[in-house]
Amino acid sequence: MKKNRTLIFLFMAPTVICLLLMYVYPVVRTVIMSFFHVESLTASTSDWSFNGLENYFKIMHNAGFITSMKNFLAIWIVGGVFTLALSLLMAVILTSGIRFQGFFRAAIYLPNIVSAVALATMWVQYIFNFDYGLLNQLVTALGFEKVRWLGTDAKLWSMIAAFIYGSVGYYMLIYISGIEGIPKDLYEAATIDGASKSKQFFRITLPLLKGIVKTTITFWTINAATFYLWSKLFSPVQTEGSTIVPVVYLYDTVFGGKGVVERDAGAGAAVGVVLTLIIIVVYVITEKLLKSSDLEY
Amino acid sequence: MEKTKSKINWKRELKMLPGYLVVIVYVAFMVIMLGWIFGASLSTSREIFTGKVLEFKSGFHWENYATAWDSQNVSVFFGNSLLYSVVSCAGVLLISAPAAYVLSRWKFRGSRTIRVLLVIAMSVPAIMIIMPLYTLAVKWGIKGRILLIALYIFMRVPYTAIYMLDFFATLSHDYEEAAAIDGCSANRTFWVIMLPLIQPAIITVTIFNFLSVWNEFFMALIFTSSNSMTPVGVGLLQIVNSMKYSGNYGGLFAAVIIVFLPTFLLYLFMSRRIISGVTAGGVKG
Repeated sequence: MKKNRTLIFLFMAPTVICLLLMYVYPVVRTVIMSFFHVESLTASTSDWSFNGLENYFKIMHNAGFITSMKNFLAIWIVGGVFTLALSLLMAVILTSGIRFQGFFRAAIYLPNIVSAVALATMWVQYIFNFDYGLLNQLVTALGFEKVRWLGTDAKLWSMIAAFIYGSVGYYMLIYISGIEGIPKDLYEAATIDGASKSKQFFRITLPLLKGIVKTTITFWTINAATFYLWSKLFSPVQTEGSTIVPVVYLYDTVFGGKGVVERDAGAGAAVGVVLTLIIIVVYVITEKLLKSSDLEY
Repeated sequence: MEKTKSKINWKRELKMLPGYLVVIVYVAFMVIMLGWIFGASLSTSREIFTGKVLEFKSGFHWENYATAWDSQNVSVFFGNSLLYSVVSCAGVLLISAPAAYVLSRWKFRGSRTIRVLLVIAMSVPAIMIIMPLYTLAVKWGIKGRILLIALYIFMRVPYTAIYMLDFFATLSHDYEEAAAIDGCSANRTFWVIMLPLIQPAIITVTIFNFLSVWNEFFMALIFTSSNSMTPVGVGLLQIVNSMKYSGNYGGLFAAVIIVFLPTFLLYLFMSRRIISGVTAGGVKG
């Protein structure tokens, strides 16, 4: 087809402007800002003073940031293991030929569709409520003492559990599309050879899902690193050590929050860069560890 | 999905009982949660606290919805979210569709770079971009609804463009050639012939854009400066926070239901399309 330069230019211009304005320029500026002492976001660049890795050292020694990183690790590792395992289990069940699988898929994916703020509010105000909450009703029905699910000790794990419950549907759909892509005759051959269901899972399904597992690990890492909303809703008014995550720390440092003595946009940028590096490193490591090319089907 | 109405093979079903149990428990939990929240939205705060939510002894308190809608500002939040979602969805299409079309049709200097950038942009975390965007917005004096709509449009451009690109690539070049012979300009050919051909893709991607903007929270929290432009997510957070003082729990749960309902209804009618779209988009094994 003939190349029409004017058309190409006019059709591409808005998207290119979007890419430059919304992504390229801000990312570059955030990275640069992380190496400068910048107090406020509205400070002009002439007030920026270069201070090398000082921002990074500063956050590494900040108690709030350290706590937030610990919480991030809990969300990432514990939440990740449970979410990915549960969603794989659901995917296997829902591809095993059970009835109403269309309905079950839709129902389990539902939490990903509705407003996460509404969902988190349901958990905080109902499931975990001390006085009338579902969990404490179960607990008392079983004859135990009521539990403070949102007390300082339990809050992080309550939040993670609620987050896992809502996340499973998305990863389940990814696994289902992977499993449905595996040729049926592999299973038929294995059944004829007398391989049990569990053997089929570990010898056929899992190895062939390697590429998908890689994708889900990357997605989960992005999810955990940018975790914000649930933390905000579990500690809505004031940031608390039990639920603080890096993005909440970033927000408070940059935009101010209770307990923040001085705003520091440079340190905030450093937090952003650290989180992005974590995502990239995890991505590279999983790519190296789980080479998917050694199996073809 | 390939289930047929064959006779139930009980022996086979029994074998899958553990599987049934797992998914049924999972779904039942959600049904109980939603059912209770709906019940609570029709109860008084007193009934909620004494654990008598599903008895409705004092009748159904529909006025909770009126309270939430009017005095708790849900009508304002709702209107804002609707405005943001609808305008953004249209804006995103207007920007992404032409670019996706051009990228699917021609190679030119920088076309590879743009494709790569679009894919990377899809997974750039918001925290890496909001700080400079905030600075820019202040410097250029852009604020309020316009700012939020512009951000939402730009937020969805990469995903939308990549999604539509795959669909344009499947279209035959014969359409354009026939149109050219009839003297139709390339510009007109795109808007009148090519774009309508990918209508199913447009619908799917618009649903996803709508959901994403309706449920967006982080940017809304940072970039809304007054109550009058707050969308539902941030608005609900405000209601929760003021609950400690107002103590109107029935109103709170009514607000939760109102915020929950639009995307839920959309899902009821479109679940098949949405579910098949989730994995059709960016995910590649």
